[in-house]
Amino acid sequence: MVRPGEHDILLTSMHNLNSRQESAVQRANYMWMWFSKLGSPKWFYELSGKWLPWLVVAMSLLLVVGITWALLFVPPDYQQGNTIRIMYIHVPFASISLAFFPLMAVAGTITLVWRMKLADMVAKTAAPLGAWFTALALASGSIWGSDIWGTWWIWDGRLTSMLLQFFLLVGVISLRSALEDAEAAAKACAVLSIVGCINVFVIKYSVDWWNTLHQPSSGFSLSDQAPNPPEVWIPLVIMIFAIYLFFAVSLILSIRNEILVRERRSQWVEELVQGT
Amino acid sequence: MFDSIQFSSIGEFFSMGGYAFNVWTVYTLFVLFFAINLYFPLIRKKQILSEQKRRLIVNREMQTLKNDDGENS
Repeated sequence: MVRPGEHDILLTSMHNLNSRQESAVQRANYMWMWFSKLGSPKWFYELSGKWLPWLVVAMSLLLVVGITWALLFVPPDYQQGNTIRIMYIHVPFASISLAFFPLMAVAGTITLVWRMKLADMVAKTAAPLGAWFTALALASGSIWGSDIWGTWWIWDGRLTSMLLQFFLLVGVISLRSALEDAEAAAKACAVLSIVGCINVFVIKYSVDWWNTLHQPSSGFSLSDQAPNPPEVWIPLVIMIFAIYLFFAVSLILSIRNEILVRERRSQWVEELVQGT
Repeated sequence: MFDSIQFSSIGEFFSMGGYAFNVWTVYTLFVLFFAINLYFPLIRKKQILSEQKRRLIVNREMQTLKNDDGENS
């Protein structure tokens, strides 16, 4: 039984509830709009065009500082001498190469679930770049080991799982080129990328699981007495950031090319082509 | 700052304490890899743009030819 006066309160609270629900729906709509905008190739092309110069500037600065520091100022290791300078190339490339399969798996999942165009472009362009990164990590490690370990290659856990990652990436690339139907190729690559993520854990923990020749991660310490004083690891951190930026820049450049090819019949690309 | 440079001469820097081959091969590979991965996308972009431009021009010419045919018949 509603008494007079209470009726208004009831109505107001119902109204409040409705407006709250409405705003939730609206928010979900905005989220969805933002999400689909993120997947729009045109939007990405324009935004990345604005970001690229800044990324290149930051990358160049960090590279100059990092390489000068690594080649001239880092003290030689008490056991490995000047080969320690190889670490500033090997470690950034090896650690960033582990990011490729997770990246491709996330992009693949988005492709499978939401069929976002941009996600598949990311997955497609990341695979060859990942193969390059893995190859350079393997090559630099091998050249480093040839003197320090006395061997170019050994079938230990870290090296073998890293080689497997290289072959998996080559597999993803060939799978895409082998399947004629672009959509089927995208789906197959997405599934392979998700499965390939297992190997990333194997690489990461291989040095802890098996007694291998490859040393485990040393970690960073601020103490002067630590085996890795700041003068050794600060340039390494700088190089890792620099190579991450390089990874971002080269990936963005390839994605932009992929966008131009796949969207060639859209009006904005035709206008862009005519403007050149 | 220059006091903490680890080498006393250019020759010593290039010889890398006997590890010249290892250190300089890795750094050369890095520079090559770096240059290739930035250079090729830029070349490819130019190629794509010129291909698309040619396609647009051909399309337009085909369109005008078709229109002319339409007027003649």
